[in-house]
Amino acid sequence: MTELLQVNGLSVRFSGLTALDDVSFTLEEGAVRAVIGPNGAGKSTLFNAISGYVTPTSGTVHLKGQELTTLTPHEIAEQGVRRTFQNGGLFPELTVLENVLTGLHAQIEGSFLDILLGRSKALKSEAENIHRARELLKLMSMDHMADTRAGDLSGGQQRIVEIVRTVASDPPVLLLDEPAVGLSPVARAQMMEIIHRLAGEKGVGILLIEHAVELVMAAADRILVMAAGARIAEGTPEEIREDRAVLEAYLGHS
Amino acid sequence: MPSSRQRSLRTWLFWAVPVLLLLTPLATNAYTQFIINGMLISILVTLGFTLVIGNLGQLAFANTAFFGIGAYASAILSAKMGLPWIMTIPLAGALGALGGFLASSAALRGIRSYYLAIITLAFGELMRWAYLHTKPLTGGTDGLPLPRETMFGISLSDDTLKFYIFLAVTVVLVKATLNLLRSRFGRAVMAVRENEVATASLAIPTARVILTTFIWSGFVVGCAGALFARHVGHVFPESFGMLHLIASFAMVLVGGLGSVLGAVLGAVILTALPEYLRAFPGMEELFFGLIVAAVLVAMPMGLASLLRRLSPIFVERYYREES
Repeated sequence: MTELLQVNGLSVRFSGLTALDDVSFTLEEGAVRAVIGPNGAGKSTLFNAISGYVTPTSGTVHLKGQELTTLTPHEIAEQGVRRTFQNGGLFPELTVLENVLTGLHAQIEGSFLDILLGRSKALKSEAENIHRARELLKLMSMDHMADTRAGDLSGGQQRIVEIVRTVASDPPVLLLDEPAVGLSPVARAQMMEIIHRLAGEKGVGILLIEHAVELVMAAADRILVMAAGARIAEGTPEEIREDRAVLEAYLGHS
Repeated sequence: MPSSRQRSLRTWLFWAVPVLLLLTPLATNAYTQFIINGMLISILVTLGFTLVIGNLGQLAFANTAFFGIGAYASAILSAKMGLPWIMTIPLAGALGALGGFLASSAALRGIRSYYLAIITLAFGELMRWAYLHTKPLTGGTDGLPLPRETMFGISLSDDTLKFYIFLAVTVVLVKATLNLLRSRFGRAVMAVRENEVATASLAIPTARVILTTFIWSGFVVGCAGALFARHVGHVFPESFGMLHLIASFAMVLVGGLGSVLGAVLGAVILTALPEYLRAFPGMEELFFGLIVAAVLVAMPMGLASLLRRLSPIFVERYYREES
């Protein structure tokens, strides 16, 4: 399997507080790796450090051998590492279609001047990408809601549109920050299926933060367990279930 | 999904308005023509303003500064450097754009919200101070008159000739702005307003989007300033104070924040309203204020939202399917 993401000794320290302590792992094509841990374990800091929102104090992140650590968030996204947000990153006042189109921003051709003057080059690329966005919505049976204001969707629908938007540009790596939080059991099952499809059919490497244990156990090939910023265990779901360090981190010393 | 019939009706409506307006000089007297010319200028001022505070969602009040910069640039270039006025329009736009660049640099340094509001207000007042204290260039308190000039053998003091020039400039700039908004650029502008952090995660360079929006806003309003200089024929510092800013702000809100249609409606209605209120001498300001307040209480989303409810053809979309 091709290695996509290599995280090497990643640390983040905020004036005395170590939020992320020397974390290393790799993410392969088509793999789903879950990151779990109690609140404050550094899961979100890990995501923010990989996607460029927090500058690591030390360590590196590479995508297919290319270093990402020095890049800004939009450059990292353009390289192909895309993410969702824990509390929902949709643009509520834009429609569903417009939201998905923002995910195709870098794919749409035409300079500022082409757009300003309404040149056919820009219009053609715009039309092609609108077509693509509609196709993607159709795959999720959301095409009938294309012109609905995103803020008017249900929580589950918003999560799905956010994922459609995030994967619209076919990124090789996807970081999902608690995609199932607040979802109904039916919507959770749908989210599971989407994750399986993205990894299995499209070969996307997925890094997943999630508290829903049954989703993590069912969706992930490997699980990384964190506590107090550091990695405390790593392995298959079966191995993690039996791991003493994990039980201690969650339940305290016995 | 807007049907193709709705789309073509919308295109038809867009072009029908300026074409019909071409006939207004036949039906108006010189005074009404002067008011209509002022409306065209207000449309551009409101449009540039709403782009920044409505679409981009930045509390920047440098709009009147861009307007003054454009007007003084046009007046100085015509009066002191002998440039034909028509050529000063794009140059005034360019200097307005430079003003936009300066205002955006504050926003890009992380000065946002109320802090951006106060720093951009200060920028406007600083410009007014500059007009007052650079007398050799701007004429100070005496202002700066534009030289007499003719185009196609017609004096540029002729309101009909000015109307056609103003109309052409307005149509071009409104159309170009619509092209921008109904593209990946327009979507990015509003994405920044809704959630700047999430916007960057979609490979959208947020800083460049903010910078470009301010620059385009400055350009549009700078061009409007050049039109205004010729409209009144004599630029004074007082034209570019708080009163102008508040009036444009009211136009933005009455029309509907972040709406091109709203910018046009707000500008037209609030430019016309004082003329109708002349029937109530001494009560004009009172009625004006009451009417603005009543519109905002009844329609917090502005007049454009009323039209949107009447027909889907007025719904503004930020993508463009036809090519």
